Amino acid sequence: MEAIRNAFDFSDFPRLDMTVAGAALVFLLAFPALPHSSFAMATMIQFLMFSLYGMGWNTIGGYAGQVDLGKAQYVGIGAYTTAVMMVRWDVPFWVSMPVGMALAVGWSFIIGYPLFKLKGHYFAIATIATSLVLKDLFEVWDFVGGAKGLELPLRGNFPDFLYLQFREDYYYFYILLAMFLAGLLFINGFRHSRLGYQLRAIKDNEDVARSLGINVHWCKIKAYAVATAYVAMVGSFHACYNFNIEPEDTMSLDLSVLIAMMAMLGGAGSLWGPIIGASILVPMRSYLGSWLGGQAGLAGLDLVIYGAIIMLIAAVQPRGVWGMVEAVRGRRRGV
Amino acid sequence: MALLEVREVSKDFGGLRANDRISFQVGADEVVGLIGPNGAGKTTLFNCVAGYYPVSGGQVFFDGQDITPLKDFQVCRLGLARTFQIFQASGDLSVAENVMVGAFVRTGSRRKARAKAEEWLEFLGIADAGGLMLSELPVARQKRVALATALASDPKLLLLDEVAAGLNAAEVDGLVKLLTRIHREKGLALLLTEHVMEMVMALSHRVVVLESGRKIAEGEPAQVVKDPEVIRAYLGDHLVSGENGHA
Ligand SMILES: Nc1ncnc2c1ncn2[C@@H]1O[C@H](COP(=O)(O)OP(=O)(O)OP(=O)(O)O)[C@@H](O)[C@H]1O
Ligand SMILES: [Mg+2]
Repeated sequence: MEAIRNAFDFSDFPRLDMTVAGAALVFLLAFPALPHSSFAMATMIQFLMFSLYGMGWNTIGGYAGQVDLGKAQYVGIGAYTTAVMMVRWDVPFWVSMPVGMALAVGWSFIIGYPLFKLKGHYFAIATIATSLVLKDLFEVWDFVGGAKGLELPLRGNFPDFLYLQFREDYYYFYILLAMFLAGLLFINGFRHSRLGYQLRAIKDNEDVARSLGINVHWCKIKAYAVATAYVAMVGSFHACYNFNIEPEDTMSLDLSVLIAMMAMLGGAGSLWGPIIGASILVPMRSYLGSWLGGQAGLAGLDLVIYGAIIMLIAAVQPRGVWGMVEAVRGRRRGV
Repeated sequence: MALLEVREVSKDFGGLRANDRISFQVGADEVVGLIGPNGAGKTTLFNCVAGYYPVSGGQVFFDGQDITPLKDFQVCRLGLARTFQIFQASGDLSVAENVMVGAFVRTGSRRKARAKAEEWLEFLGIADAGGLMLSELPVARQKRVALATALASDPKLLLLDEVAAGLNAAEVDGLVKLLTRIHREKGLALLLTEHVMEMVMALSHRVVVLESGRKIAEGEPAQVVKDPEVIRAYLGDHLVSGENGHA
């Protein structure tokens, strides 16, 4: 089938890129076997999670060029679906994850329909607003634990592959790595799909896109749904990995901004961009955060640094690190 | 029945009537020129026909169907393609990818879209530019890319809004030959607006003349240019001494 061939088609990238990607993959596969601290392992897991968030964001924010700053609401829907279903009805992760994705996607259609009538900054602001409203609702909704959130019940028989409960982090790591690879292949197929091309045409010029038979509004909604599915999937995983979720850590504006920033720093609208972005920002955030946390009076400085990064991207290279690579090569090759 | 029938179409912008009850037809194997001075309402009429604007009055029929209520993207799928007068080439897609977007109107397959794109790039003589970005091409070639993109959507009728603007005489000549081939070999009907008169004269079987939103003349090119009303519209009253022409 062509969709499957597309997913494995990396032929528009030069050999060098694929060598680097292959080496990175070998490193990822081997990482748990290498000597590492538990902090490094936690950082790696964060890296994989944010890569997936970024890949999802990239469909709407990168390929379609619609800056979405409200992805956290769907992290929340995924995380809460898994948590609520596990706490109340004992439902395993592998069931609650697709349910969470479906609920999130359903919600994204309801939100997306009016949202995509808006353009540019208005769209970005509206995504923030919808996300914050959902967070506020969850904070006062007793069924989902209000502002305290939910604690997942420990089932005690480690390792539990059905409910994703492990004592050792490498189990989480490999499961997430599998999701990461599947997610990467899906996006690779996506960018080669009709929708992928149409989104880039929309980003170029909406009037021309419509004259070419593209239902711009509907295409954006579809891309938004794909982005949402990724983010909700990782949200479900996050609930199991953390054992404990709150509106503040799953649906905050910080998270929405971080997701967008990873992809933009690495290169919005390119396949590798979100991964490159996460590989830079996640370790920086982990190590900077833990170091700054220790220095009294400096907590919060990381936010200043993120702000500076955003300004730097906007001023120097809107296409991010990947844009710089392309500039050095003198020609855009892959997207 | 004609391929395209524009029936009493009007378009108002606030108080300004840009199109005033305009009617004409384009047959399935015809090339029709739509001319008129600046601001006559040609682009507006295109936009009404292509579903880009909702009309203020009247109806548009295409291929036996009332397309008046349809949106631009729906009209395109029925086989009515158009190019834009002002062609903005911002840069996310390469030339070949641009044309593929046109081809994706008819297929979901990247392989087929690519083959179709290559075919049209070849036909339009820009096969060597496939891997470039639009912004890297000179204007004449950019226009051909726009043409290729519209053609790749397999239209029955193509609306061309000033494709010759900004081209030199040799380029206009090449374009006329190309459009003639597209019409003859691919069997497309064409409706074109143009200020470059040689082009309209060389290509059109019939010409429709607009002035201030109204149709003032219609007929064979050679006759229309002799029409006093048309001359007056283009040159102003004082040049048509004594004549009180009627269309
Ligand atoms: N979107 C719009 N809003 C308001 N007025 C408009 C709009 N588009 C066109 N007009 C006006 O309608 C009239 C017809 O404009 P139109 O662009 O259709 O002319 P045209 O025949 O294509 O001219 P040109 O030969 O210069 O391209 C003009 O007076 C123009 O100012
Ligand atoms: Mg015009």
